[in-house]
Amino acid sequence: MSAVIEAKSLSKWYGQVIAVNKVSFAAHSGVIGLLGPNGAGKSTLMKLITGQLRPSQGEITMFGGRIWNNFPLFHRIGFCPEQDSFYERMTGTEFLSALLRMHGFSEDEIARRSKLALETVKLVDAADKKIGSYSKGMRQRIKMAQATAHDPEVLILDEPLAGMDPVARWETIRLVRGWGKAGKCVLVSSHILHEIEAMTRNIILVHNGQILAEGDVHQIRDLIDKHPHNIYIRCSRPRQLAELLVAFPDVISMRFHPDGDALTLESKKPDEFYDRLPEVLLKNGIELEEITSPDDNLQAVFQYLVK
Amino acid sequence: MSVESALVRGWRSVNTIASLTLDTLFWSKKTIFVAAISALIMLLSLLGRLILTYRWIRSPFTPEQVFSSLMSTAVIHFLVVFVTLFYGTALISEEVEGKTLTYLLVRPIPKPTIMVGKFLALIWISTLLVIPTIFVSYAILYVRTDMGPFLEDIGVLGKDIGIVFLALVAYGSMFSLLGAWLRHSILTGLVYAFGWEGIVSYLPGFTRKLTITHYIQSIFPHEDAGTSIAMMIGERSGLLESILTLILLSAFFLATASLILREKEYVLDQ
Repeated sequence: MSAVIEAKSLSKWYGQVIAVNKVSFAAHSGVIGLLGPNGAGKSTLMKLITGQLRPSQGEITMFGGRIWNNFPLFHRIGFCPEQDSFYERMTGTEFLSALLRMHGFSEDEIARRSKLALETVKLVDAADKKIGSYSKGMRQRIKMAQATAHDPEVLILDEPLAGMDPVARWETIRLVRGWGKAGKCVLVSSHILHEIEAMTRNIILVHNGQILAEGDVHQIRDLIDKHPHNIYIRCSRPRQLAELLVAFPDVISMRFHPDGDALTLESKKPDEFYDRLPEVLLKNGIELEEITSPDDNLQAVFQYLVK
Repeated sequence: MSVESALVRGWRSVNTIASLTLDTLFWSKKTIFVAAISALIMLLSLLGRLILTYRWIRSPFTPEQVFSSLMSTAVIHFLVVFVTLFYGTALISEEVEGKTLTYLLVRPIPKPTIMVGKFLALIWISTLLVIPTIFVSYAILYVRTDMGPFLEDIGVLGKDIGIVFLALVAYGSMFSLLGAWLRHSILTGLVYAFGWEGIVSYLPGFTRKLTITHYIQSIFPHEDAGTSIAMMIGERSGLLESILTLILLSAFFLATASLILREKEYVLDQ
């Protein structure tokens, strides 16, 4: 079976800085996780795959054709960027419709596809509200909607779960797995192993612009478990939450942030922690504003791997 | 895909990008500034009319001469330049700074489509802000108890509007090119507009033909210092030559801006 995306000795440098260094890989249909700490070169690689950057050396192809300035190819690509940037004055429907119009669909088809995309990411209720008024999770979901509304065969998702609440995360993970099963080629990046692991077993490890390893997630998993996992939580009542979380056996440390609205904790078993957290929040009526995982723990594993 | 359907699709994409851009430009702080300049010009017209009507001071000018003076200085050399400079240099840079350009770059449209759509938006918004200013100023200075003077010079008003539109297109394409090319284009644009254009267009010899101002002065029906000097030394270009040059320059600037957009890696600036 020929590869959907194929990179051969692909390099990209910005002046003296090498962002991607002689990377070779082949991606077929299914979900592939691009895992690496911040600054590893994941986003640069994704920008090369989506034709926003031109390779400095080597080549990258999709369906056998070059990507840079090959505009018809973009009917087949959906890209969810990392940055939280929008045309703030537009509503969700207007945003999707405008972008779909550039794919050449009829107005009826645009309306149908916009509605379907908004239903898929559970944003129908906010469809006619301005994006500027959306919460961070909603903004993340409208980004996913614009990437998928034209039903592309290839989906490139750069940190798609960042800023989502646990329910939306779970829903997005389910969607990504579904797209993979449906035969799409989905490349999803994250610096959080358990997020990637929930979506796929097939991962590419990126560090310092190079691919360290690719294949099954199992081996890296064992290494990760030896390192405690940092979790940052911003919520309505962090002190009450901290009291409740102290009882979790896997939580080994906790510290509050100076603004008093957030805490960072270390967990030995992040999967179990993430499973239990929604119940604790719901039972105690604590409103979750943000949950992220700094990549310190993954960085430690990568340092171990590159030694 | 037939040529016709490709053209229809291309036009829809251009139109969509123009609408997106128009919304962003219109609701930016630049619009307040440009509207303030427009209002100032209309206020100057009103002041001129009041002075002349009530003879507050002795003035050798007629309302028609005041309009002529306003057109050649405040509108052409100031309002048109500022409007196109502010909006033209922002066309690409605002999308780069706002990190929204990505959404357009990953669509199945040729990149020049993006440039053309944005340029159309620039022309729409500039026309929307500049032309009413001219019309209102004309009305303030020309309306009397009878409509005679107003209708008598309506041809001049039509010419003015046509020339101002041509100036908007020429300067707009020039500043769009700077915006697509340079990261901090507004400063370069200011130097170009008030340095190069402001100085070189008043110099005798061939170099003045390297400015947009020269061709606009050549076809302008009103007199200003530059036009008078040009007339004295016989260095006005012909009507057809001036119009054709302005159109060709605009096409060249727009094509170059499109080429830059096609080849430049804008995400590096984000």
